[in-house]
Amino acid sequence: MRAQPDRLCAAAVAAVAIAAFAATYGFDEVPPGLAQGLGAAEFPRLVCLVLLGLAVLLALNPASRKPPPRVPAAGWGTMGLAIGFLPLMMVVGMLPAMLVFLIALGWLWGERRRGLLLGSAVGLVAGIWLVFVRLFALSLPGGWLGDRFFS
Amino acid sequence: MDAFLAGMATLTDPLILGMILAGTVLGIVVGALPGISGSTTIALLLPLTIGVSPIAALAFMGSVYCAANFGGSITAILVNAPGDPSSSATAIEGYRLAERGQAGLALGMSAVASAIGGIFSVVMLIFAAPLLARAAYSFGPPEYFALAVFGLSMCAAIGGDGRVKNLITAALGVLLATVGIDLTSGVERYSFGIMELSDGINFVPVLIGLFAVSEMLDQSTRRAEEPKLISMDAAKLPTGADFRKCGRAIGIGSVIGAFIGALPALGATTAALVGYNETQRWSKHKHEFGHGALEGVAGPEAANNAAVGGSMVPTLALGIPGSATTAIILAGLIVQGVRPGPHLFNEQPVLLYAVFASMLAANLLYLVLGLGMAKLFARISLIPPTLLWPAVFVLSVIGAYGPNQSMGDVVIMLVAGGVGFLFRRHGFSPAPLIMGLVLGGMLEEALKQSMIIFDQNPLGFAHRPIALLLLAVTLSGLLGPLLLRMLRVVRPQKEAV
Amino acid sequence: MTKSHPPSTTRRSLLGAGAASLGLLAAPGLLCAEEEKFPSKIIEVVTHAGVGGGTDITARMMMVQAPAVLGTEFTVVNRTAGSGAAALQYAASRPRDGHTILLITQTHLLTMLRNKSLPQFDELVGVARATEDPQMIMVKAGSPLADPRAFIEASKERGLKYGGTHVGSVDHVAIFSFARAGGFKAPTLVPFRGGGDIVINLVGGNIDVALLNPAEAEAQIGAGEVKPVLVLSRQRLATMPDVPTAQELGIRATAATTRGFVVLKGTPEDRVAKLESGLVKAMSGQVFQSYLKSSGQASDSVTGQKEWQEQLVEFNGQAREALTSLGLLR
Repeated sequence: MRAQPDRLCAAAVAAVAIAAFAATYGFDEVPPGLAQGLGAAEFPRLVCLVLLGLAVLLALNPASRKPPPRVPAAGWGTMGLAIGFLPLMMVVGMLPAMLVFLIALGWLWGERRRGLLLGSAVGLVAGIWLVFVRLFALSLPGGWLGDRFFS
Repeated sequence: MDAFLAGMATLTDPLILGMILAGTVLGIVVGALPGISGSTTIALLLPLTIGVSPIAALAFMGSVYCAANFGGSITAILVNAPGDPSSSATAIEGYRLAERGQAGLALGMSAVASAIGGIFSVVMLIFAAPLLARAAYSFGPPEYFALAVFGLSMCAAIGGDGRVKNLITAALGVLLATVGIDLTSGVERYSFGIMELSDGINFVPVLIGLFAVSEMLDQSTRRAEEPKLISMDAAKLPTGADFRKCGRAIGIGSVIGAFIGALPALGATTAALVGYNETQRWSKHKHEFGHGALEGVAGPEAANNAAVGGSMVPTLALGIPGSATTAIILAGLIVQGVRPGPHLFNEQPVLLYAVFASMLAANLLYLVLGLGMAKLFARISLIPPTLLWPAVFVLSVIGAYGPNQSMGDVVIMLVAGGVGFLFRRHGFSPAPLIMGLVLGGMLEEALKQSMIIFDQNPLGFAHRPIALLLLAVTLSGLLGPLLLRMLRVVRPQKEAV
Repeated sequence: MTKSHPPSTTRRSLLGAGAASLGLLAAPGLLCAEEEKFPSKIIEVVTHAGVGGGTDITARMMMVQAPAVLGTEFTVVNRTAGSGAAALQYAASRPRDGHTILLITQTHLLTMLRNKSLPQFDELVGVARATEDPQMIMVKAGSPLADPRAFIEASKERGLKYGGTHVGSVDHVAIFSFARAGGFKAPTLVPFRGGGDIVINLVGGNIDVALLNPAEAEAQIGAGEVKPVLVLSRQRLATMPDVPTAQELGIRATAATTRGFVVLKGTPEDRVAKLESGLVKAMSGQVFQSYLKSSGQASDSVTGQKEWQEQLVEFNGQAREALTSLGLLR
């Protein structure tokens, strides 16, 4: 049981290689007038085979190591926030979503000095707005709300 | 010689000096910010440079370019989020040092190594540009193919028991590089009808996700049990002994960077990654690598700044840009009515030497600024993690979104963050993946181009001496350690006789 | 403050556009009352090039003098994905009120032909052409192909290796059309990432022929390393009067890298006309003209709607034919 984590990794890598290999059969065909030597699918297939071979090697010589530590609740929360950032950005726009994220994650990680948390979040978002929007005139996604009110 | 002196004399012009100062400061700032690289900045400011004289405009653009490459290392070291793609290799060791509370050491070394690399390449540019430019013509697809094989073989050459894992991540990177429209057949691969994928996977969001976002996720799992203690010597700068230790790394990085930069198809990012690997290979302190080796900061930083001067070689001598940034500088030159090419060295030597002089000045300037402010920057690593890491995530988002203004890139960054987190937990290093992604596309394209050129006959490689040489070096690099071990077994016996 | 938040602007104008773009979300149409003034807000220039790409720079050069002429701010929106597909989709998602203009190249037309889910060619309305950069057939200096007639003879005998950008690209279409018009043996395309790579491989002897814009190889032509053989334009170039056109030698083929502005169908005609005159005037200004001159492009690049639209139609037909013959269209 000692070597199990690396065997699992090897299985995962092998699965990726096999899936990618299978996907090459879904590529469009190269029009006959253009086919010359190596086509579109050969190189990826070769890489997949190499990957598969390496996975076998890893499975045969797994390093002995402890399984990684369990992910604590704060870790899951952080991942949730990172994933939730996208839909939030779609709705309220990039800058407001950033503000929410900064405060929420700081709080989740145990920052309880409200003034500091709020101040640094507002300061950072204002700084980003200043540099990216004002100075370099990049357009950041406004989200559904932004399109609703500002376009 | 007169032209040389006249070029240097432009530095006495207060306007030019002002432009260099402004360019250097701006370069450090945008370099440090993920999402705005030196090339983006120059592109955005290009229309503004039309009003000034060619020399002033070039001095400004050159300074931004030089300083941005250094600036990128600041965020790479402090928060593991390379501010400029070229500093991805710096993050590997630099961030480990910052974690140990030695951010100042890493930042100081980065400033010095960057400046030495940068100055070395400008000096080389002054003396050897026309010569080096000829070398670019000898590099066709077969040679680039051999070079890509050489670069990828480095992943295996990295010592330790992680060899198979390194190769796995490198192969994954190569596989990722095949996503998008195939250059030689026009067929879309692995894009699954998603438009954002049809142009291939941009490596900036992957880089930011693998390094910065996965670091944040990792921090979130460790926070509960072991609150990280950062010692107060974060602001300590490197000493003479540190520099002596890294001298060899800086030398290796400078030479590699200048050469790779001079090849039109390769830029500072590749130079830094190759520089990192070579530094490690030739280091006397191999065991330190992966745990915060100062040499691992010096080598890639010298390399990526040396690549700046290197990439100016084909730009100025052939009129063919050596990197994304020089492509824009080239556009700037053309707008100014300066046509680069072999004749530039004869026709406009003063302008040329003025550019060199301003690049030298910019390198010295960021050395002073970088060392002066290293203590200040280093204190960023003392910001409480509850404020720092959320901020890093937010900067990562804008860093991924910025260059192409694409939401798809933000998604790619998040996915890469998740994958990077899994990598960390299972002892895979993200650096080979970046290497595979950067070199994988070139590997495949160069191979296919070579085959078309050779009429599909692989024996064509036999007529390309440079390619053969590179492949031989690769082979000896892979088998060398093995052979050495065998020699060592044989020799003592002989001596004993 | 209004220019700070592209695509935001004053409160008044935001109501009109918001209503148009979000009609599905039941934004009341009665707010669309302001028709009189155009342009009333920031004009977005959508391009498929990343910041710093050739097309992006063309847009930014136009923008230097356009605000003064049209009396409004401009901003570039880079939508890089899918060889123009993302830019087309973005433009199609915006209200067709003239405040969104698209800077296109022939690449967009090829992308549209190959992807039917995008807005199609008849949805585009030409506004003004910005640049027109003729393409040239070039060979290595000293090569036996350097003489135009010898070149044509050789092309008929064996399939030459051409350097160009990727398969199915504008270059590919041009090479194909050129070879067909000349009755040549089918050429082999060696695909590269860009003009710089092509020049290096031409000088390095890895390819026989290159299809390039004059500026891309100017340094090498000046140094006597590359020889232009034919120019694929209607007239000889003023800068290279010795190089004959393909048409003079009986090959009816033209090719150019062309960029120009279009809007989507449905934009009020008076606004298109106002944009046309404004853009043409802005691009006739000193900044854009010196950009054209220094990048080796003809000063008569800038032209109005009529000629530009004709050219778009012509290229669209040519591209459809080439892609069909190559088997790239299905």
